Amino acid sequence: MKPAALGPTKKPHGRSKFKKLASEIKKNRMTYTLLIPGLVWLIIFAYMPMGGLSLAFKDYKANLGILGSPWVGFENFKYVFRDPTFIDAVWRTLYINIIKLAVTFPVPIILALILNELRMSRMKKAFQTVLTFPHFLSWIIVSGIVINVLAYDGLVNSTLAILGLPTINFLGSESNFIPMILLTDIWKSAGWGAIVYLAAISGIDQDQYESAQIDGATRMQQMFRITLPNIMPTVTIMFILSVGGLMSSGFDQIFNLANAATKNVSEVLDVYIYRITFQSSTDFSFSTAVSLFRSLVNMALLLIADRVAKKMGGDGLFR
Amino acid sequence: MKTNKRLSAKSILLLLLSMSLVLVTACSKGDSSSSGESGKDENGNYKDKLKISVASTVTVKDGDMDNEFHKYWMDKYNIEWDYNFVEWDSWGEKLRLWINSGDLPDVAVWDYVHGDAMNYIDQGLLYKFPDDWKERWPNVAKAYSLTGLGDKLEELTGGTYILPRPVYFENKPADPLTNQIGVIAIRKDWAEAVNFELKDAYTTSELMEYARLVKEKDPGKVGSKLVPISYKPDDVLTNIMMPNSAHSRVESAFYKGEDGKYKWGPADPETLTGLKLVQEAYKEGLLNPEFYTWKSSEASNNFRVNGTAAVMSLGGLASYRQDVDKDMKKNLNLNSDDVVHTAIVLGEDGKYRNLEQVNFWSALIFSPDISKEKFERVMDLVDFSVTEEGQMILNMGFEGTDWKYGENKELISLLPEGTSVGDKYPGRFEGLYLLGDDFSMINPAIKQEYRDTAVKHYQNKAKFGKEGGALALYDWDVQLYDSKAKNQATFNYAEEYTNLILQDGDLETNWKKWVESKQSLVQPVLDELNNLKK
Repeated sequence: MKPAALGPTKKPHGRSKFKKLASEIKKNRMTYTLLIPGLVWLIIFAYMPMGGLSLAFKDYKANLGILGSPWVGFENFKYVFRDPTFIDAVWRTLYINIIKLAVTFPVPIILALILNELRMSRMKKAFQTVLTFPHFLSWIIVSGIVINVLAYDGLVNSTLAILGLPTINFLGSESNFIPMILLTDIWKSAGWGAIVYLAAISGIDQDQYESAQIDGATRMQQMFRITLPNIMPTVTIMFILSVGGLMSSGFDQIFNLANAATKNVSEVLDVYIYRITFQSSTDFSFSTAVSLFRSLVNMALLLIADRVAKKMGGDGLFR
Repeated sequence: MKTNKRLSAKSILLLLLSMSLVLVTACSKGDSSSSGESGKDENGNYKDKLKISVASTVTVKDGDMDNEFHKYWMDKYNIEWDYNFVEWDSWGEKLRLWINSGDLPDVAVWDYVHGDAMNYIDQGLLYKFPDDWKERWPNVAKAYSLTGLGDKLEELTGGTYILPRPVYFENKPADPLTNQIGVIAIRKDWAEAVNFELKDAYTTSELMEYARLVKEKDPGKVGSKLVPISYKPDDVLTNIMMPNSAHSRVESAFYKGEDGKYKWGPADPETLTGLKLVQEAYKEGLLNPEFYTWKSSEASNNFRVNGTAAVMSLGGLASYRQDVDKDMKKNLNLNSDDVVHTAIVLGEDGKYRNLEQVNFWSALIFSPDISKEKFERVMDLVDFSVTEEGQMILNMGFEGTDWKYGENKELISLLPEGTSVGDKYPGRFEGLYLLGDDFSMINPAIKQEYRDTAVKHYQNKAKFGKEGGALALYDWDVQLYDSKAKNQATFNYAEEYTNLILQDGDLETNWKKWVESKQSLVQPVLDELNNLKK
């Protein structure tokens, strides 16, 4: 294998850089051809709609369209920041998501490590299937199940009542709301999330384990000294991506599990955007201003997480 | 076999031309019916069959369209309906999406919101009626003129874009007219069992006393399933909050006080009185512990389907009472006349509070893309539907089959005892314009006793409202005022109040904090309204 070039190299000139890229594409044209559908998708569905963000600075009129609607500068943001429920929703979103990140992020990693240690492949597959299955249920179904189980006349409270124990107000209690969000999120997503780490584990060079076994390493030592360090780049990338989504919380989950009693702890930014867009007089410019604010904060968080990861010696998202 | 034949330039051009023609045809609206002619043959029958999409909240299940009633309207107007049922809970939301995305069906019943209406009209999202529509469809114009809103909107917008739906046309039950909401039903047999007096009007405390007695004695022997007062958050707002604070609702939250200045009702001490009563009812277990999770008919079903509730919110229409009668018979095998008593609710100070009823509720709107011919066809149908003949068919069915005139010209139903025209012809959405409230006052298919009671409640509301009552007057200045600030200061009060009464700590302190937290949105609206007339 040809070693990587050592010592300082001359930075390629713009023109020669382009030439190099062109020859690279030509050389690997089949691989680059496979990239086209994804690229087209990205342009059509991710980049082109970004033009709609200009609505945040316009007074949108459907008959004039996005381009024809008049510019109003930061007028919409003035209304956004005047609304105390918006400010509350921002802090609440961050609060819920930071807790979610701290509690739920490690679960798929732990699950993947445990599943990797299972030696009976049938049992491993069975566990994996059972743990992955909830991912395929929509939050409407999951919340329906949760509400039925945790309601006053639901399974849990009925059992408590039969046992002569006091019933618990699960659904209407503000203090129970976040634990309920965390538990349901773990139940639904941990199995699916573990797949990424299992894939990373499967790519680890088996020689490392053999050497460790020869040296007399226990399975626990192998897990912490070989498996975990090897999947750390994947963990870092997943962590950075999660931090980048701190301002967007699972709308479906919270919307379906919340009610009037838990309003003060459940109205996150996504629910707020939904409410102002569809449940009160429609103002797309206002909603876009809120969404733009959220996206900017998300991007800032993503860049900070990336920089921190690099500073700590890990890999970042951007080279 | 491999061929190396190449297409000539001409054939490629021809191919491209034909493909573009196919594309243009496929992508065009393809409305062949927009010829703009009257659309009738020499016999006055409609020539072309039109497929018309319609959206309303009337439930139409599979098979409901297969009966004489729907056939009559489709044949008479040579139309094929593309019906879109809209759930009550998602009505506003769905229509907002449709209107804003340009996907509004040809004609739709819309839960009118003034701010939205002005926006939609401004943006060209609603069909503009031709200037001579009132001459062409005089029956619609006559009913339209009774709503008040129609003329006011014309002044603001310079044309007709919306048909507000009249509540009453020929059979107004009382003056002043109050909103039909605010009528409750209680279990008469349980009241008798616990020695609770039956009256036409109760204060909230009296009703709570009844609920306490029922909770204590459980006269229906329903055990742990008992719900003394079976209200969902909206019912709480209507039957506990509103009787104590007429301006606690979104419809009347901004109002002109006695000093001529505009105020925000939820900050009034009367609202706190209502909140205290709701919290008391909740803490005592008179309301269900999870009433805030109930939607649609979950609360009333405890009364009419499960037989486990002592009080429910009913509403003032005779048809609602008839529905309870049917439900109780079907589900509980009970004759509702023996077990149901209806009443109105007064505030703790004995005053009657409700909303002054303007004579409209919701509106009929048309897609801006509807063809002229389709619009005219629907308007022809609507015009007929408000005539006496149309109303009779819509509400009674067909003469000779479903009803007849008696010797003294009184209406006699020919339907089997205990059934209604709704049972025979379900999903009658064709009554697009005039609301059923009007005809329900004289509809012989509804028991005379229920109709008399409905009128009595309306008259009591009017009497109590006039005699020392505190009705929330319909303020056109507020209702027709539209601004970004006003739109932003629209809250879901049922949810807000529910949240307040469930919070830990002192209710009054929490309420004051809540009022304070809303000021940044409310004060700009009050300032705008107070400067309106300057």
